[in-house]
Order: sequence, then C-alpha cells, then structure tokens
Amino acid sequence: MEFTSILDLRKSPYKEVSRPSFFMDLNLNQIIDRIKQLWGEDVTGFYYYLPADKECEDYRREIFCDVKKQDVYPVLLGFVKKMKAYREIGANKESVKLQMQKTAWHIQEVVVYGEALQELLISLQEVSLVSSGMQSFRDFLQEYLVSGEYQDMLQEAKLLWKELTGIRLKLTYENNLVILAQEEAEGAYDRFLKECFGQVEHHMKNPFGEDVALNRLEQEILSILMEKKPDFFEKCEEFQNRYYEYAKPQILDFASEIIYYLSFYGFEQKMQELGFAFAAPQTDEKCEMYADGLYDLALACVNSREGKAVVSNNMVYGEQESFFVVTGPNQGGKTTFARSLGQLIYFTKMGLDVPALNANVHSFSEILTHFSVEESIETGRGKLQEELMRLKPMMEERCRNAFVIINELFTTAANYDACIMGQRVLQHFIGQQCRGIYVTHLAELTKAHESVVSMCATLDDAGIQTHEIIRREAGDVACAINQVNKYRLTYEQLKERLS
Amino acid sequence: MKAYLLYPEKEWANTKPYFDEKSVIQDLGLRILYMMSARKVIMEGEVVKAIDKPDLFIEETMKKVMVVPLESAEDIIYRQEILQDCLANPQFIISLYDISQEILKGWDNLGRRAKEKVGTRNSMANLITDIRLLQLFVHGLKRIKDLFSEYDGKLASQGLSALKERLYQVFPDKLQEECFKIIEDISFFAQDPEAENGTKEVVKRPRLVVECSLGGGLKLQSFNLEEVSTVEKKYRNPNSAISKVQGYLQSRTPDSVTIQSDSPLREHAVHMEFEIVQYIMTYCNTFSVRFYSFFDQLCLQTAFYRGAVNLKEHMNRFQLETCFPTVGDQGTLRFEDLKEVVMCMEQRIVAVGNTCDLENTMLLIVTGANQGGKSTFLRSIGIAQVMMQCGLMVTAKSFESGIFPALFTHFTRREDSEMNSGRLDEELGRMSRIIEHLGERSMILLNESFATTTEKEGSLIAYDIVKALTEAGVKILTVTHLLSFAQRMYNETEEGQGIEFFSAQRLEDGKRTFKMIQHAPELTSFGLDLYERIVRNS
Repeated sequence: MEFTSILDLRKSPYKEVSRPSFFMDLNLNQIIDRIKQLWGEDVTGFYYYLPADKECEDYRREIFCDVKKQDVYPVLLGFVKKMKAYREIGANKESVKLQMQKTAWHIQEVVVYGEALQELLISLQEVSLVSSGMQSFRDFLQEYLVSGEYQDMLQEAKLLWKELTGIRLKLTYENNLVILAQEEAEGAYDRFLKECFGQVEHHMKNPFGEDVALNRLEQEILSILMEKKPDFFEKCEEFQNRYYEYAKPQILDFASEIIYYLSFYGFEQKMQELGFAFAAPQTDEKCEMYADGLYDLALACVNSREGKAVVSNNMVYGEQESFFVVTGPNQGGKTTFARSLGQLIYFTKMGLDVPALNANVHSFSEILTHFSVEESIETGRGKLQEELMRLKPMMEERCRNAFVIINELFTTAANYDACIMGQRVLQHFIGQQCRGIYVTHLAELTKAHESVVSMCATLDDAGIQTHEIIRREAGDVACAINQVNKYRLTYEQLKERLS
Repeated sequence: MKAYLLYPEKEWANTKPYFDEKSVIQDLGLRILYMMSARKVIMEGEVVKAIDKPDLFIEETMKKVMVVPLESAEDIIYRQEILQDCLANPQFIISLYDISQEILKGWDNLGRRAKEKVGTRNSMANLITDIRLLQLFVHGLKRIKDLFSEYDGKLASQGLSALKERLYQVFPDKLQEECFKIIEDISFFAQDPEAENGTKEVVKRPRLVVECSLGGGLKLQSFNLEEVSTVEKKYRNPNSAISKVQGYLQSRTPDSVTIQSDSPLREHAVHMEFEIVQYIMTYCNTFSVRFYSFFDQLCLQTAFYRGAVNLKEHMNRFQLETCFPTVGDQGTLRFEDLKEVVMCMEQRIVAVGNTCDLENTMLLIVTGANQGGKSTFLRSIGIAQVMMQCGLMVTAKSFESGIFPALFTHFTRREDSEMNSGRLDEELGRMSRIIEHLGERSMILLNESFATTTEKEGSLIAYDIVKALTEAGVKILTVTHLLSFAQRMYNETEEGQGIEFFSAQRLEDGKRTFKMIQHAPELTSFGLDLYERIVRNS
C-alpha cells in the first residue's frame, strides 16, 4: 500500500474542515481544550476532521493501537520534538535577510532533518507494527532514506556543518578597533573569575545580542571571515542552491499529523492516572452495541481538577432497539448520559479510545445533535420556532444510519402539541434507520415506537439524585423530593422544626 | 557572612521580646537607659565637658535589643566578654560602628531603598550601581580588616576574635587584591564623573579579548572571555590632525573593523562592553550579595555595644559602681549595694543601695512603710534582671540571679489608682494575659497589684493568684500593701518552702533608711509615722 497520510487513506484535507455542529453540544471543546493544554500546542483542527467512512475509521484505529505501544509512543514523541526544533530552524531561515545566514540555517536544517529521520527509521525497525498505516509509512521512509540522492545530500550537509561549527575566532577590541583572528583561546579571564568567586559558574550573554539577525558589527566581522575563507562559503551557497527544496511533503505531513494520536494518548494516560478508564472499542456490527462504565469525559476533565469522580452508566441497545427515551428528575444526569453516548460514538468514529470500561460500537454515518439553547435575542424568534429551524436541516439531510441526540425538545410548546411533534421526530429518525437518545420530560414519548427503550434517571431512598440512568418505565417520579428535603419542608421535618 | 556579635551562632532577628515589652519598659523606666546610651559623654581630662547629640540609631537599637532576653548563661557571658573588650578599647567599637554606618549610608546613596521598591532604573544604571556597591563593600571590608589588625592582641573576647577570623576567611588578602584588580580592569566602564566630562587629560579605554565560534545562522556564540583591562590614554580631540592620522593608520590594520565614534557600530561596541562588564559583575554580585545582610547586622550589633559603652560612661558620670552579673540558680537572688539606676539618672541623685542574699526562694513578699523605698527596691531588681539578660552591666557591687526569659511586670501606680471595677477589670485582664503567656522560666514582678479594690478583696485575689502561680513554679517578687494577704502567706508558710518576707527598714525612732531587710509583715504600713512627720512638723 502506498503511503499518503497517517490520518486518512486519501490525502487528508483536515486543515480546511470547520467545526462539526455537534461539537459544542457534546462539550467536546472542553475535552479538546484539555488535550491542547496538556500537549502545549493547538491540536483542535485534527478533532474537527471526521473520517469519511468505516474503512478510514478502522485505518485510524489500527494506527492508534500501534501508537499506544510502550516502545512506539516514546519514539514518535522524540521524533515530533526533533521536528519542532527543525521547524524553528526553518522559521529562523525565513526571518533573516542576509543570504549567507540563510545558507547557514539551511545547512543546519538539512542536518537536523536527516538526523531526525534516521533516528526514527532505526527505532521503527526495532518495533513490531500491525497497522497498515504505520507499516506503509515505515516502508516509505526506508525507501526514501536509502535513496542515493538523500544520502549524498545528508553527507555533504554534515561535512559543511562540521566545518562551520569548528571555526574558532578571537576578537580583540581596543583603540576603537575590533581585530579578528582565527585562533583558539582558553578563556583566561573566565578562569580568573571562577577562581575568585568559585562555586557557581556563570555564562556570558552574547555580547552582540541574542537576535537571530546579525547586527552591523557581526556582519562586518563575518565579511572579514568570508574574505579569508572564500572557498568554503562558496561551497555552502552552492549546496543550498542544489538542495533548495529537499524535504518530502509526506514526511512533513506525517510529523504534524502524528500529533493527533500522540496528543490524545498523552491526555488519555493523564486521565487514567487520575482514575478515569479508557477502552479501545470493539466495532462488531453483528453484536449488540453496548458500553460498560460509560461516563462524560468533558465532566471528568472538569471534575479531575477538583479531585472529584464522575458517575458512570452501563447501556446496551438490543438488536431491535433504536432509541433511548430518557425521563426523570431534573439534575438527574440525563443530559450527561446523552453526552457520554455522543462522545462514545464520536471517539469511536475518530479511531481513538472511548471513556468507558469496555464497549462495542457500531458505525454511524454521522452524529446529529439538537440541544435546547437560550432564546435567541438577536433574531427575536420564539424558542419553539428557533428549535424547529434548527431541527429542519437535521431531518432533511441524508441522515440514514446517523446517531441522533435530542435533548429537551419543544419545552415551550403545549404538552399535547409537544407529544405529537416529539413522536413524529422519533418516528422520522427511526424510519431512517437511525439510532440515538431522546431526553425529555414527556413520559408519553416512551411509547412512540416499539423500538423505543424507556430509561429513567434514578433517586436513592432519601430522594437524592444518584445520576444513574437505568431501564425503567417512565412514571410519576417526584422530581421535587430532593429539593423539599434540602429545605427541610417534609411533614416530619416541619413537625420537628415547629415542635 | 555573619556578624555574630549578639549571639554565638545567630544573627539579630528581633524575635521573642518580653511579653508586653511596652509595659516592661514603662514599669521599669528603661527609656532613660536607651536615651543615655545614645549620647556620648565628651570628657576633657577627668571632667565631663559635654554630652553629645543623641544617635537615634543607637537609641532604637538599644530599645530593641534590651527587651529581647538571652536564654542561657553562655549567651550572656558571650556578650559580657565582647562588652568588656569594648569598654577596654572604646575607640575600636566607635570606629567599627562608624565604618558600618558609612557603608550603609553609601549604600543608601546608591539608591538602595529605591531599588528595593521597584526596578525602575535601566540596566546600564543598575550595572554601574553594582560596580559602585562592589567598590563600597570591598573598601569597607578592607577598612574593617585594617581596624582589626590595628587592635591585634587587644581583643580577648570569643565574639570579636571569631568575627576577625571569619572576615579573613571570607575576604582573605588574596581575594581583596583580586577584587581591586577587577575593579581596576573594568574602571573604563564606570568612570568617575569628573573623568567623563572630557576635561581630564587622561581617558580610560577598554581592551577586551573574547573567543567564540559560529553557531546557527552564522551567529557568533559560545563566548569565552580572554582578557579585560583598562588602558589609560591621553585625551585627544577627535578632530585634531593627529587623531585623523591615527584613524587612517587604524583603517589599514588588516582583518579589523574600525568603530567610528558616531556610527551604528559604536552602539554595538558599547553593548559589547556592557555585556562583558555585566558578565563580570554576575560573578562579583555573588560576592556582594553575601554581605547584604552582614552590614545591616554589623551596624545594629555594633550599635548595641557602642550604646553600652556610652551607658557605662553615664554611670561613671553619676558615680555608680557597676559589675557584670553572674548567672545563678532560679531560686537565687543575691546582690550587694544594688542601686536603682533609672532613678539615679532621672533625679540625679545617688540612691541607697540594697543588699540581699536569698537562695531557693521563689516568692518574695515585700511589705512595709509607705515611701520606704519598696517600689524602688523592686524596680532595681527588675532593671538589673533586664540588663543582665541582655548582657549589660548592672549598677551594683555584685549581682547574681537566675535567667527568666519570661519576665512580666504587673505594676499599679498608686497615684492613678482609683477604686472602680473598670480598673480592676483591666488589671485582672492584664493578669490573665500574662498567665496565657507564662513560659518555662517565668518571673513576675507585682507592684501593688490589686490595689484598685478594697484590701479584703484584693487580698483574696492576690492570695489565689500568687499561691497558684507559686505552685506552678513561677518566681514572684511582689511589693504589696495588702497586709492581710501578706499576713496570711506568712502564717501559712513553713521553713524551707522558698518564701521570704522583706520589709522596709524602720529604725527605733521611726526613721526610714530606705533599705529593705528580712522582716515579718506587720499589720500596719506605718502610714502613721508619715502622718506624724508631715502633720506634726507643719
């Protein structure tokens, strides 16, 4: 297989992709922010780009398996770090104006590039890779590095760099003159200072300033040096012209795209240390879709900062079951459960690990979400109208086999209307072979279709929310019991307080 | 670098003063002592010629140091020995104090306080300040070392000899020379102001040699410093013919860049000078930093001895005999001819000296005639106790007592005592706070405590408190007019309980001697005597 991109079977167009509409609803931005913060670089773009089909999803999943290996992960991290240094050299090359300086940066750039690739190849040859993506990249790299042109280039660059960095200069400043000599010295005054004051060694800051661009005095000194070594500097310039465009685009793309996997795995390890489980999901379409110990990863990101745990749930879609309709008390964990389901589907699609103990997840064409939002003041539309406007494109889209998450639809409509509308929405998506979850306060919707499963947020004996969601017939659950408890207004409590 | 003149292994930290030291100062009248210690007695032969203006720093220092008690006999002897050296060589401590004062003043002039606030000044000015500070410290240290060699063999105390040794260790002659060399090497950078206005015949120019290699993008890097020196040149007008000829010759020097005086190259060269001097100063600053707190400490600590020497001169002036006290057991209180120094100085009189010889005594109850010198007696012991515990001499032929770092005074001044519950409340509150702060070695001086209520009530209160405290091992010296309290204590006391009773001496004819003697308390404080004397004689 020929190597194209580590993100995709085709050439990856992730850079042009914009944020998927479900992103904010599932609080994915909070998760990505945490990943970004841990990695130290912006990685958001990767998470906007969803694989086009199941084949691509599997391609990524296999690669992620390889990346997670104990002997692979540090190798790739090391490579990425080297390539960061490489990019910094490139930026310096761009920033300077003096031709000879550009040339020097160029030579160094080639050396670092060559060293990084050589190291990567050697390390990758020592590990076993199972994914087609990583295997084909290794093959590609090997073929590239043994090519004569690459070998010649690297060797020549190394020689030039060695000679360049071997030059020692002695500068004498007196009488308004800076006199240049090519000789070594041993830092007699440094030694004198160290002997006087001992203990800690200090280093002189660059007396010409730290600026990458050379100042006038440095330029003058350099031009004297160039006059003294014309052959060498000519050779350098000729080298740059000959290997002006030398870097392979696939390599550079790999160096930046592999960060997608590395950053997520770094985050995953951090969260595991804090006690949050991750699992590589099964993707067996023939088995029931389920997840054990599923939790909201965004909430976990927030809670982990305060040392708090999160509630997890088990769920399973039977073969004939299409929608969960979740009812129950407010603040009972319904929305959190819906989000965690969405995250399960999303991270599976992305080929990454999911926030659960274990899971089997089917493939869906896409993720559709509809969460109630605050009334839009700008447009002045009523809430119901606004909801319907957002619902319309969701229902029009070719949404066969999508995963649909609906959270509190039609809350402002009359109960009777809301029931009918809700049933129609459910029936529409079920008719499109979709699966999903519908969070509502309307118990009637649990009867909307035979494939609908009724689930409830639960309360404990004292009437406090457990935040667990279980399969149960929707009933007249006393939503307010916990509030009453909190304010000590039950009959017994009042008796006691008034006695 | 540490001064260690107040403690063997500790610098002054201004911690753990007496609880409620303001009351201690006020009740014992210590203010006059630190005021006196701030003024030098100027002698002309054997005659006092004048009293110098007060040195407020010494006054502040005495005020602070006197109320922080030493906690061991070794620490007290440590200070006594240093003070003996100073009394024998007063000019030594005067010079040492003056040098450290001058250094601190020089430092202030370099903008020490301003620098501590915010670093508003630019880095060039900071660098010059660093150089000047180095000069100040190096010259100051040299002067201190010279002073010590001048008094070689004359200083016997452990504290001063150890300081001398430390100085030579931290700043040996070799380092001293090296510091002077560095200051000379970089003198081109921080020239004296008069040299910079160009009128001087001679200008200082640098000679700098560095070695380096080429790094990324041909940037010069990895600098080694080979040579730094200052060369004195005869000043020449840059427009003069000879300068031009010289310039021409220079431009022909092979492999060189000429730095014209007004070109941008000049700026880079100046920056180069700056960075190199800055680098040298990072080394030197590690040296200067070691003395930051030292000079503060030295100044404060020498101020104490300087003040003590002044105080001794004043004691001489009032013809008060002094001695260095001896540390004894907690139950010991032994002194000969102890005089109340504050009263002597304030009222310019020679007070009556008291003598006392007590052992294993943890409670002393003094009763007796009004105006008989009871309070003066109690104060004289309190003052001597404080002076002993800060290492000073006391005004007695001899003095021996235990160490009581937790020393409290609970004085009620008769003249402003009114009988009302508010004042008793305040008194009891004060007592309660004292009890909260009692330490292991506590001594309480009670002077007419609980006089703000009736004698009966006051006696009951005093009895409970004194009994409880005594049983808890607190040493109490009390002067009281609560005679039923004193009587009760006397009646209940058996031999060997460590309780003693003193009374103001009263001769057969009723005359007061202002001396305290061991005597059982009586039910009268002989106010009648006073009444007789005053009323009858009128």
